[in-house]
Amino acid sequence: MGNQFVLIISSAIFCIGAVGFLIRRNPLIMLMSVELMLNSVNFLLIAYSSFLQTLDGQIFALIIMTVAAAEVVVGLAIILTIFRTRHDLNVDHINVLKG
Amino acid sequence: MFSYAWLILIFPLLGFAGLSWFGDKIPKKTSGYAGCATVGGSFLLSLMALSDLLSLDPEKRLGHVVTLYQWISSGSFKLDLAILVDPLSVFMFLIVTGVGFVIHVYSIGYMEEDPEFSRFFSYLNFFIFSMLLLVAAADFFFLIVGWAFVGLASYLLIGFWREKTSAVLAARKAFVMNVIGDVGMVIAAFVIFNAFGSISYADVFAAAPDKFLPNDDTVLLITLLLLVGAFAKSAQIPLHTWLPDAMEGPTPVSALIHAATMVTAGVYLIARCHVLYELAPYTMYFIAGIGVITAIFAGSMGMVQYDIKRVIAYSTMSQLGYMFLAVGIGVFSLGMFHLMTHAFFKALLFLAAGSVIHGLNGEQDIRKMGGLRFSMPLTHITFLIGALCLAGFPLTSGFFSKEAIIMSSFHADMGNFVFWGIAVITAGMTAFYIFRVYFYTFLGNKNNPDAHPHESPMIMAVPLIVLSFFALVMGLAAPAVDQFLSPVFGGVVHHYEDATLETIAVFAGLGGILTAALIYMTSHDKLDFAKQALAPLYDLLFNKYYVDEIYDFLIVKPVRAIGAFLEEKGEREGIDRAVDETASQVHGVSRAISIWQSGKVRAYALNMVVGMVTILMFVVFL
Repeated sequence: MGNQFVLIISSAIFCIGAVGFLIRRNPLIMLMSVELMLNSVNFLLIAYSSFLQTLDGQIFALIIMTVAAAEVVVGLAIILTIFRTRHDLNVDHINVLKG
Repeated sequence: MFSYAWLILIFPLLGFAGLSWFGDKIPKKTSGYAGCATVGGSFLLSLMALSDLLSLDPEKRLGHVVTLYQWISSGSFKLDLAILVDPLSVFMFLIVTGVGFVIHVYSIGYMEEDPEFSRFFSYLNFFIFSMLLLVAAADFFFLIVGWAFVGLASYLLIGFWREKTSAVLAARKAFVMNVIGDVGMVIAAFVIFNAFGSISYADVFAAAPDKFLPNDDTVLLITLLLLVGAFAKSAQIPLHTWLPDAMEGPTPVSALIHAATMVTAGVYLIARCHVLYELAPYTMYFIAGIGVITAIFAGSMGMVQYDIKRVIAYSTMSQLGYMFLAVGIGVFSLGMFHLMTHAFFKALLFLAAGSVIHGLNGEQDIRKMGGLRFSMPLTHITFLIGALCLAGFPLTSGFFSKEAIIMSSFHADMGNFVFWGIAVITAGMTAFYIFRVYFYTFLGNKNNPDAHPHESPMIMAVPLIVLSFFALVMGLAAPAVDQFLSPVFGGVVHHYEDATLETIAVFAGLGGILTAALIYMTSHDKLDFAKQALAPLYDLLFNKYYVDEIYDFLIVKPVRAIGAFLEEKGEREGIDRAVDETASQVHGVSRAISIWQSGKVRAYALNMVVGMVTILMFVVFL
């Protein structure tokens, strides 16, 4: 399994996540796309960790997962609250944070 | 030695500060006496300085610089808080505080009715302080500070009756004219610093003779710039128009400005800087020329005015012309001596005129006076004494000082026949116009039956008597003054004796008096012919040669036009528009940018991705 393969897979997953985040209107799907992007990075970290024979990358990956889980909890809470008050989950309609 | 000299300045300053703060809270009398006491104290200290100075050998009298502390020290530039005690400054101290004190005392009586009595006295004290600072300065910096303060004090005092529009306008005019002079002085100080690396008198005057050849460009520049200040303060042509208008202030103020303080500053300045002026004979010649021109010009205007104070004001300009003539032809101590005698008799004339005005409840038009010799005997006598001194009547003080200048204007190295001739003609004019006022005011019949003139109270009469005494006898002090000032001016001035010229000058004065008597003491009908023949000249003189109108046309109107143009084109279309355009452009840009703040998550995300990709592009491909 060459490094190039890992890089291509990782960037492919990242791009799928980014494009998904950009084009989908449902916030739940958008959160999933974010997860995809994060996981592409995790994948890369672990691959390099194994390649370089150190544990640093794996530790980073664990931290990222933890943070991602926490973020998703917060994000889901916000989305739930919005859904309860508005009965609408289209992100293009949710622009109350307009500066 | 002379460490107490600072107190001479401090007293009036304290008076000014104290009366400004507490003036309203203490009784009128108290503030009047306090105002007098400070100046009186300064006068006593000046006398003390005089006696200390006289106890020294003549050659040791120079250069006593009393330093309080070093104020500024920056690189090679040093500025001490210091005053200079030498014969010239002590001489001026005595005149300023002495005559100033008498005028202060007189003011107690004159201003008695005024509700803002203490304000008046605090200003008067400030005036005295400013003038003393000007005189005492040991460097050009404090000279300029005092110089500007004097201008401010005159502004405050001329406009003292602030409910009177004409007084406020006159104050403004005086201030503007004086600021023109101040600018000249300030530039002169910079040129001096540039040339000498110092602005203290001692350094500059010691270095000047070795550093410059006579009529060197720099010296000419410095002397001419200083002259702008001197002309403005001393109301010499062409900066003279403020002085007659300054008569709008209370009479003691006029006396103070004209006799002891402000207008003498120009003469003092030239005398003080005589080292520089002696290196600039061209400037000296120019000064003498302006002096005689001002003398005759102002004298001629004085001949036709009807306001008693205005006549005396023109006479001040004219007499200052004599002083400038004296310093211009290099007889500095004669100029200073005339300054002193003039201080006495001009203060006397003003205060006597003030007494007349006071007695007639504010009337200043001499046509409405007349026959006051019975109702105001003391004022009559003292005014007559002042008039005789001014006219240079033999054996009065004015005779000694003016004769000496007229003599020198012919015989001194820089003198010539023209200067002498104009000086003599002016002497005749002077005698004519002052006796015209005298005849109008005190002799003849009462011209205004409604008036009930009364003699002034003692507090005004005593100063008149004191001044009359000094005006009569100070002529005898001429040799003493020359001797006293000789260390400053490097030797005693030569007094020229020339019986013929002296006789001519005396007869010019007597002729003026006689002409005035002939015209104003005889029936007016006989003069109709002469009046008609001289009508155009009379109009010209009465309108002061239209100088105000010329200034209005040449300076005020163009400046106004430029101002209006700039307001329209520069202010509205330039500055305002630039500011408004900038504001609206910024507004537009911010509106354009604010579209990005849509609140739409996907738009933000797109921006982030685009930014990220752009940065990646830079990192990868550059």
